[in-house]
Amino acid sequence: MKNEKPLALPIKEIIIENERVKTFVIEGEMEFKPGQFTMCWIPSFDEKPFGLVSRKEGEFMITVAAVGTATKALHMMEVGDMLGFRGPFGSVFNLPKKGSIALIAGGYGMASLFNLAKEAREKKLDVHVFLGARNKNELLYLDWMKELGVELHLSTDDGSAGFKGFNVQVFEKEVGKQSFDKAYTVGPEIMEMKIAQICWQNNIPFEVSLERYMKCGFGICGQCCVDPVGWRMCVEGPVIDGEKLKQITEFGKYHRTASGRVEKYPWAKNG
Amino acid sequence: MSIDLSVTLAGIPLKNPTILASGIMGVSASSLKFCEENGAGAVTLKSIGPVERSGHANPTVIVWEKGIQNAVGLSNPGIDGSIEKIEKAVKVLKIPLIGSMFADTIDNFKMIALKMAETGVAGIEVNLSCPNTEDDFGKMFALDPKMTEDLIKAVKGEVGNLPIFAKLSGEHSDITEVGKAAEAAGADGITAINTMSGIVIDIHQKRPILTNKVGGLSGPAIRPISVRAVWNLYQAVKIPIIGTGGINTGEDAIEYIMAGASAVGIGSGVWYRGIDVFKKVTDEMKAFMEKNNYKNIEEMKGIAHEK
Repeated sequence: MKNEKPLALPIKEIIIENERVKTFVIEGEMEFKPGQFTMCWIPSFDEKPFGLVSRKEGEFMITVAAVGTATKALHMMEVGDMLGFRGPFGSVFNLPKKGSIALIAGGYGMASLFNLAKEAREKKLDVHVFLGARNKNELLYLDWMKELGVELHLSTDDGSAGFKGFNVQVFEKEVGKQSFDKAYTVGPEIMEMKIAQICWQNNIPFEVSLERYMKCGFGICGQCCVDPVGWRMCVEGPVIDGEKLKQITEFGKYHRTASGRVEKYPWAKNG
Repeated sequence: MSIDLSVTLAGIPLKNPTILASGIMGVSASSLKFCEENGAGAVTLKSIGPVERSGHANPTVIVWEKGIQNAVGLSNPGIDGSIEKIEKAVKVLKIPLIGSMFADTIDNFKMIALKMAETGVAGIEVNLSCPNTEDDFGKMFALDPKMTEDLIKAVKGEVGNLPIFAKLSGEHSDITEVGKAAEAAGADGITAINTMSGIVIDIHQKRPILTNKVGGLSGPAIRPISVRAVWNLYQAVKIPIIGTGGINTGEDAIEYIMAGASAVGIGSGVWYRGIDVFKKVTDEMKAFMEKNNYKNIEEMKGIAHEK
């Protein structure tokens, strides 16, 4: 079932991931497929898209970093408080029938990839997760993933866990050693861009989840349309196939702000 | 029998009478092009104002039981930040692009109109009737025939022969008074109607869902209201009318045309039917016309008034 009007649901449990990040367990059903997102209404503040995570029936989760006014307000909420949820929205990840897959996640990207890992393990696929974060404390869902039986390749900026450096480097090295039937990446766009280049160069089929500013979440406001094709990241996306991604020329270069103004990424080359 | 869906709207030739309504999808040249590829006869820009605006905080758009409600709040990059985009859209589109603008004062409307006219748009829709920005801009122009007349006259004075459409509100007690004022001021057409103000409350959260509390209703719920507006305007003015509000099917579009519309605006239909709503609506119009022996749109226009 899809909720177009916010469905009021209570917070069942709050898991403190680290000093900046909490996972909110919500009591209620959200029948999503891996890759889809919800628009979460934080009453009186804002409504924002979050990747959907679920480990058992009757509940689902969102993982939120306290970075702005609305997410800080959400972090102040307690068990029993009500949030509003619309969705699930967006396109979904597609798994190969068999073989070995690589999931490359940075920042909070693992939230959008966790259920893909879960589904892949249920289908007996080999799952390699390249998880990168600033430090050991920011590596998400480690215990849950060990439970799933995925192969973890960790990296941290400060070397407090795994490889000291970026998950992109770890993935690139691994691509030279073994073959992946498909790769999936979610995280900061600069990371996704580098993973896309590695996949294109090595002919690895892949899917990426592309985030853009969203208002309606169901395909009418036009806010999350990408250039030059006009695809809506809440309907045709956020999951985009690597071949189709070649047509999205703004990928890795710029995005649009809430007003619709084009804003170049500081790290993007001109053009 | 060959069916001709083409219409001429205030001198603008359209291959079919479906027009993407303002505020839906029209954020970029790419999103407008996507609508063209899905069958639109023309597309309207999301309204551009004098300066950059981020609009209201989310939630800004929701679906309720009988339609959609929004208070996006006229987010836009401002006219100076939009020129390049509009020029690009004119260049990449094969169908006509109708500009759209809003402002707080007549002087600002004139300033935007002049700059927008130079981009090569086929016409400009003057948004006199956004119901979601009262706190920022005060009462909407379209609730006052005199203000509407002054504004349209001023805009017309800036852009000369470029077609100007006045987008009116269904909230005036007699839309024909405003329509006649717009026509007298030189408007080349009327778009009727904008969304209708409403409030949807979440009873669990004990508050309106939209951050702006009030938001414009669109979709099937407002269709009979809008059809009545078109009906009344058709009897009151000679200039063409773009009927807008709850058009999801070819039958809906024909209803508007029989009420007197020359073309139809489609917005919420993008959600109800998908982005290819334009193609679906035109295919369904064709099927109806074939079955009922209509060869062109003109044969159906306003015929409901003859009964």
